Amino acid sequence: MSRNTNNTYWKSLAERDGHADSESPAPQRAVANGLSRREFLEAAGFTLSLTTLGGCGRAPESTALPFVVQPEGMVPGRSQVYASTCGGCSAACGLLVGVRDGRPLKMEGMPEHPLSRGGLCAIGQALPLALYDSQRLTTPLADGKVAEWQAVDRAIAGQLAQLKASDGGIRFVTNTVTSPTLQATIDAFLAPYQDARHVTLDAVSCSAILDAHEKTHGARVLPHYRFGQAAVIVSFGADFLGTWISPVEFTAAWQTRRAPTAEHPEMSYHVQFEGRMSLTGGNADRRFRLPPGQYGVVLSHLASKLASLAGQAPPAGNLGESPIAEHELDDLVNRLWDARGESLVLSDSQDLAVQLLVNRINHILENNGKTVDLARPSRQRQGRDAAVVELIEELKAGKIAALFVAGTDLTHNLPDRDALVKAIGKTKLAVSFAEREDDFAAVAHFVCPDHHPLESWLDAEPIAGLVSLSQPTLQPLGGTRSILESLARWSGREDSAYNLLRDHWRTAIFPRAKVSSFQAFWDQSLHDGFAEFEAPAATLGDFQMDAVAAVGVEATDGGDILVLYSKVGLTDSRHAHNPWLQELPDPTTKVTWDNYACVSPATADRLKLADGELVRVETSAGVSIELPALTQPGQHDRVVAIALAYGVRGTDRFANIGPQWLEGRPTVAPGERVGKNAAELIAVRDGRLHYDASGVTVTKAGGRRDLATTQEHHSLEVPPHVAPHGAEVRDIVQATTLADFAKDSHAGAPHAHHHGDTQFWAEDHPRTGHAWGLVVDLNKCTGCSACLIACQAENNVPVVGKDEVRRQREMHWLRIDRYYSGAGDDVDVAHQPMMCQHCDNAPCETVCPVLATVHSDEGLNEQAYNRCVGTRYCANNCPYKVRRFNWFKYAHEDPLQNLVLNPDVTVRSRGVMEKCSMCVQRIEEGKIAARQRGMPVADGDIQTACQQSCAAQAIVFGDINDGHSEIHQALQNPRQYRVLDEFNFRPSVAYLRVVKNREAPNGGDHHA
Amino acid sequence: MQHRVITFVLLIGLGFGLLALGAGMSTWRLPDHEQGYAPQQPIDYSHRLHAGELGIDCLFCHSAADKSRHAGIPSSDVCMKCHQVVTSSFGVLQEEMGQAAKEGRKPHLVVSAELRKLYDSLGLNETLQPIDGAVPQSIPWVRVHNLPDHVHFDHRAHVAAGVSCQKCHGPVESMQRMKQFESLTMGWCVTCHQESTQHGINGKPVDAKTDCAVCHY
Repeated sequence: MSRNTNNTYWKSLAERDGHADSESPAPQRAVANGLSRREFLEAAGFTLSLTTLGGCGRAPESTALPFVVQPEGMVPGRSQVYASTCGGCSAACGLLVGVRDGRPLKMEGMPEHPLSRGGLCAIGQALPLALYDSQRLTTPLADGKVAEWQAVDRAIAGQLAQLKASDGGIRFVTNTVTSPTLQATIDAFLAPYQDARHVTLDAVSCSAILDAHEKTHGARVLPHYRFGQAAVIVSFGADFLGTWISPVEFTAAWQTRRAPTAEHPEMSYHVQFEGRMSLTGGNADRRFRLPPGQYGVVLSHLASKLASLAGQAPPAGNLGESPIAEHELDDLVNRLWDARGESLVLSDSQDLAVQLLVNRINHILENNGKTVDLARPSRQRQGRDAAVVELIEELKAGKIAALFVAGTDLTHNLPDRDALVKAIGKTKLAVSFAEREDDFAAVAHFVCPDHHPLESWLDAEPIAGLVSLSQPTLQPLGGTRSILESLARWSGREDSAYNLLRDHWRTAIFPRAKVSSFQAFWDQSLHDGFAEFEAPAATLGDFQMDAVAAVGVEATDGGDILVLYSKVGLTDSRHAHNPWLQELPDPTTKVTWDNYACVSPATADRLKLADGELVRVETSAGVSIELPALTQPGQHDRVVAIALAYGVRGTDRFANIGPQWLEGRPTVAPGERVGKNAAELIAVRDGRLHYDASGVTVTKAGGRRDLATTQEHHSLEVPPHVAPHGAEVRDIVQATTLADFAKDSHAGAPHAHHHGDTQFWAEDHPRTGHAWGLVVDLNKCTGCSACLIACQAENNVPVVGKDEVRRQREMHWLRIDRYYSGAGDDVDVAHQPMMCQHCDNAPCETVCPVLATVHSDEGLNEQAYNRCVGTRYCANNCPYKVRRFNWFKYAHEDPLQNLVLNPDVTVRSRGVMEKCSMCVQRIEEGKIAARQRGMPVADGDIQTACQQSCAAQAIVFGDINDGHSEIHQALQNPRQYRVLDEFNFRPSVAYLRVVKNREAPNGGDHHA
Repeated sequence: MQHRVITFVLLIGLGFGLLALGAGMSTWRLPDHEQGYAPQQPIDYSHRLHAGELGIDCLFCHSAADKSRHAGIPSSDVCMKCHQVVTSSFGVLQEEMGQAAKEGRKPHLVVSAELRKLYDSLGLNETLQPIDGAVPQSIPWVRVHNLPDHVHFDHRAHVAAGVSCQKCHGPVESMQRMKQFESLTMGWCVTCHQESTQHGINGKPVDAKTDCAVCHY
């Protein structure tokens, strides 16, 4: 019955077509035949006796330095947790910063935060690594040379005084500023000048959404989308689970409607129209391959059908021919109409006509005020591209005398860089606030480095009426200065960022909160990390029907279509210096350390392209880029997709990251950068930055650049020629449809033959105390990979570099396996977090010759690093391929970054096997804390790192033996299954089956 | 041929290794076995005086032992709780008081050489007033009990279970200079865990596990 959805999962096209050979992917070299076995053993014997002798001396003397005066409340060896706001992007999620002995170490999501609800993305998790980065500027720069703050202040103040007298323009460019205090400081700074303006440039702009609301509602606002209230979600290109506006918040809300139960087999219906294969598209119930240029025509059809249902006039203009079949459109229209007030249509398009149609549809569906909140709008994207375009013109015309840039890399993020750099040369004063010497900072007259977010006082108001505070968690490591202080000083006020922030809160925020005491309000807000109060509703006009017109089919010249996108984890060029994020496998393509041109399998066939072969992508404007190709199943045949935020200045630093050895190859060639900057391909049309373009030509360029992809690494599949009869197909990911699930809540379970139910160690380990386990809900898991970075931060997992990844030696304890299914061009995607399964009958334990990996009383599969001699038998015998071997002693490329190491977890040395320990350090901590209190461990006391940060709350950890625990409940779920259960490994990790909200078992027979 | 060369080179290496170790032959022990280690400390601090004769509770100075994995070495300001008044040993102070009474003057401030080091660390002068421009410095105590990095010992768990400090640290109250009393090897730890599970601690049953991951993670 529903089994047909189970046996079709594949990880790569090669695997689907049956010529994958994951056993020997990396080049292997025979060992040089210089030394016989006997000689080797003799030499080894001598060496061993020498090292033994060497060890017989005293251990080296080490000192222990106590404080001179111990700060109040600080206990050595204990973490203090501060509530703060994540400064990774403008989504402003709630943050709990764990500070250990003065060092911020671990970022966790704040469960009380109304938006992020305890989730934190990969970027937020990786913040501390960027803090301990020796390439951050530690002093201001004047003309590229190290300078003193006083001298820089004097020079800038002098220039500004001249400006006041003249009528030269002054422009302040930032990314979206969600901080009310920073906004007020910028406004105050600009106020005395005649021609002064604040221009907002987002790394990926949402200008068209705001512009559309200005036309239809009379207010330039970005709606606050409420995915938790949406029963039907129709997204045109918006990657809201991966990178778009506020992905953690959206994931947290989206997942609330993704858990059908046997009693209530209901879930939201999520439709995605997109050209490339995004994380969000992979999670949709129904996905249509549609290039961005055709969003408008489909939306026009939807709008006119819905308008006639509502008895309204359809949007003016002629309807083009719909690329989507009529019955599909009718089905979608009916679902939307039935879910009036509970549906949500959205798009990431920068085409005004498209966004106007989206507004019209949401208006017809009465979603405003429900799923689309305009009264308390979002402030997470404020960019107005027209202002950016105007700025470029003004710069080129030499009208701008002073240019200030903060929070964005102006020249990296805009097309036509060289002309822009030349235009910037016409300014008298160009000032950057960048943390590192980025592309703009290199051409600026002065660089006044701002603090890292973990070092600074700041605030944020991501949604009108929700204000949060960001507090410093350590003294600034270098001689940086808060942007608040710099601006206030140039405005004639010398004060600390703390005072500036507090004053703004006293005068502007506190009155809005309508409470009696400022001190109490401040203390409470600082303690909680945020404050919420009623915001006056935004003033909106009546819906302007006339503004919206139908869009016909775009006339194209038959070329290919370019889509520029941001990659999960690297949404902004500022994060390109973070090796954790660079080595994070992209959730969909699984490529690390590079950007590339994604093409569909048909295009790859047409151009006879293999992965890694260079292609040349040229726009109709004649701008071109050469990148390695990557075949992406599920992508529209005419679309070529390229990630932004690569080719960042300074990433040549990663040449020597990872082990240096005879056969090692550098991660980037000397002098080159990680990936290439695709911002040159951004098109400026109708006063907006467009991230898609038609009429693009894709040609084979010759040559190749190998991509480091983890796609086929650690495969759980069995090669067909060695599989026992009847076991060629393994039901690793199990899935069903909502229709089947409603009939039978166990639908999707395979009828596999089980190899007995013997328990190896039942007598040794009666499992009477705790029994730790993990349950992962695959239906909630989006594959966003936040857990992967959380695990890396918590467990001191090293970065290995591109070449080692290519050799299948990445060290991540937790990987996310991405499987495709479906026969045609439309594929389904499933993500499966895979970590040590802590089997009761663990195959690794029985083969270890030195008992380095053994079973604990509490069901954990333990790895004693110091006992391990590195035979790697265990990794060989592990059916889940979750063990990682330290081929080298992995040093940090940057010694300062050693400060990020978690002192609770051993840093593993060369020759040692390691793997997920189920955060045993947290388990021990929880047990000791409970013992101290004299109470048993309560459910929820202990959270693994991956579980804590999961925005989708897809991971549940706990004591299986505790009948009241959440995990005990989760294991009763009819969707529960264990991977490779038929072999009776008895894993402690269980998964909950995927349920797609659809009737037919698979969407493979449809096409767009 | 190659074989012989390697053997020869290694033999020379072994010879040099033994030569280098010759001086330290008297202190031979197995690696990581540091029983009896009693290094010279920057301040000649006496546990016998403080913990023994004066009977100050261990947790008064090592205040984190019931809160953290580390017992903590007291910060200099903890010492100052007493030593802003007690500036030298009792005998010396008494002698100066007697002398002063005899000569009919106010007693001089007598600061012992060891306490001088404490005041230096805090940047205080002989009258215990802050010295302008002096940067307070931590006292570089030499670690006596030093477990390897792959062992995670938590003081909290042991204090909470009622294990006395002396069980691992020996009769500290009788030590003039701190020394490692027990071997602190894994076998020693495991034996205690097993015995405690069997017999309990102070009549209280405990479950002192011997799973690897209790200490190694």
